[in-house]
Amino acid sequence: MAILTVNNLSKNYGTIQALKNVSFSVPKGVVFGILGPNGSGKTTLLGTVTDIIKPTGGSLTLFDEAPSGESRRRIGTLLETPNFYSYLSATKNLEITAAIKRKGKDEIRDVLEMVDLTGRSTFRFSSYSLGMKQRLAIAACLLGDPEVLIFDEPTNGLDPVGIAEIRQVMKNLHTRGKTIIMASHLLDEVEKVCTHVAILKRGQLLTSGPVEEILTKEEIIEVSSADLDQLLQVIKEFPNLSRAEKAEPILRLYFSAGQGNPSALNDFCHNHGISLNHLSAKRKSLESRFIELTNNN
Amino acid sequence: MTELLKIEWMKVRNYKAFWIFSLFYFVSIAGINYIGFYVNRITVENVPMGEALLGSPFGFPKIWNTVGFMSSWVLYFPGILFIMLFTNEFNFKTHRQNIIDGWERKQFISVKFVFAFLFSLVATLFNVIVAVILGLATSAKNFSFSGTENILYIFIQTFSYISFAMFLAILFRRSGVAIAIFFLYGLIFEWILTTLINFKFNLEPWGYFLPLQVTDTMLPLPFGKKILYKGAPEMWVLVIISLIYLVAYYLFSLRKFTRDDL
Repeated sequence: MAILTVNNLSKNYGTIQALKNVSFSVPKGVVFGILGPNGSGKTTLLGTVTDIIKPTGGSLTLFDEAPSGESRRRIGTLLETPNFYSYLSATKNLEITAAIKRKGKDEIRDVLEMVDLTGRSTFRFSSYSLGMKQRLAIAACLLGDPEVLIFDEPTNGLDPVGIAEIRQVMKNLHTRGKTIIMASHLLDEVEKVCTHVAILKRGQLLTSGPVEEILTKEEIIEVSSADLDQLLQVIKEFPNLSRAEKAEPILRLYFSAGQGNPSALNDFCHNHGISLNHLSAKRKSLESRFIELTNNN
Repeated sequence: MTELLKIEWMKVRNYKAFWIFSLFYFVSIAGINYIGFYVNRITVENVPMGEALLGSPFGFPKIWNTVGFMSSWVLYFPGILFIMLFTNEFNFKTHRQNIIDGWERKQFISVKFVFAFLFSLVATLFNVIVAVILGLATSAKNFSFSGTENILYIFIQTFSYISFAMFLAILFRRSGVAIAIFFLYGLIFEWILTTLINFKFNLEPWGYFLPLQVTDTMLPLPFGKKILYKGAPEMWVLVIISLIYLVAYYLFSLRKFTRDDL
């Protein structure tokens, strides 16, 4: 069963296309990261999933059915800004959330305990600090132990301790078999927390799939010789080479992590009668891979 | 719907402004009617001829009409209250959160109108109590049920004012703008429009069909109907037009809220 399937989803704001024919599917039990720079359409995409934004084209299904209030009741959602009635206390706010989600009131105490708000649960929401507001939002999203959780930039604006805590929460949820869909502009975060990733750029889906396939760490060796075309012919025979790319006046050779061996490469060229006039090994950072992914298209 | 109403009541119950505005509203209904009653009594004491000529506006059966007319002046209280209840949701972005948590968009709008309907019923009931008390105080022996159709008009008028206010709230989304327009339109512009349409352009009765005016015309000044609303259409026409407005406010709000991004 797919938790979420998105088919050719588009959203226009006037002439701006926030989403362009995005299609992907989120299987059950994964931690699915939607990765993209600011303004790439991540929040718009999550907005269409939670029915606060109406798509201009395409469709989506939740639990293999057309989305409805019923399907949203099975999802806990944490948005960038916590939305609560400012004149109500934490408990009263969660009573409303529980009533809409058709969950019992008895769980409210547990989730407040979980986010360490028990002592302030009778205070008005407007008296809370930003951190407390965010914690209440986490409590609301965990209420009723939903099967699926949606997080929009969950660590935005948190201090390092808060970031570590929320990542731990996500890991625990994943271990308990929950499906998590999160948006993030932090590659590092997606790499640490997610099992699957979809990369968005200016509303377009660049790629999606398991993290280890998409965000492989590659090693690059740059070489050059008098005749680049001849070098390219020869070097294609070199073992373990993933791909070669011509970037005058050099060739850029890609290897998967741990496979790039400059001295073996030098010997190989020498044995084939080519003398290199440039040889330099570069370890590619994830950031450059991300920038490459988001820039090349 | 009971489930939705319970949740709506959870939102409202702990909202202080709800109780303050409701209190002001009910006190004002009693107050403005008592002032009318008091002024009328002094007038009668000084000029007994007047009552003989026009009949007592605070005696049965005219009292039902009189109370409706007097109370219509304080309908801005519940109007503002319901604008606030609506725009609060936009301010707190809880209109989004309710949908995210599992309400359908249609439910969000419908429960607001149903709540307004129930509130209007309570307000109408209060008007009836005030009418009975003042009517009995004027002439206990003349108690009569004739003229009680005015109770229906009071209800329609209350629900219409509140629904119009909610319509403005969803249209403008900001309480300040919605409240300002509600006041300016209700107190000034509509009156000018009605007068212009009916008397300047001689298009009577079309001026009576404006959204708030149509219910005001149902409950005219108790002794001035023949002068003020000379060419007013028959009552059933006014009732139908105001029901059409009510349906239109609801459908417009529903349409806007279900189609827009929240």
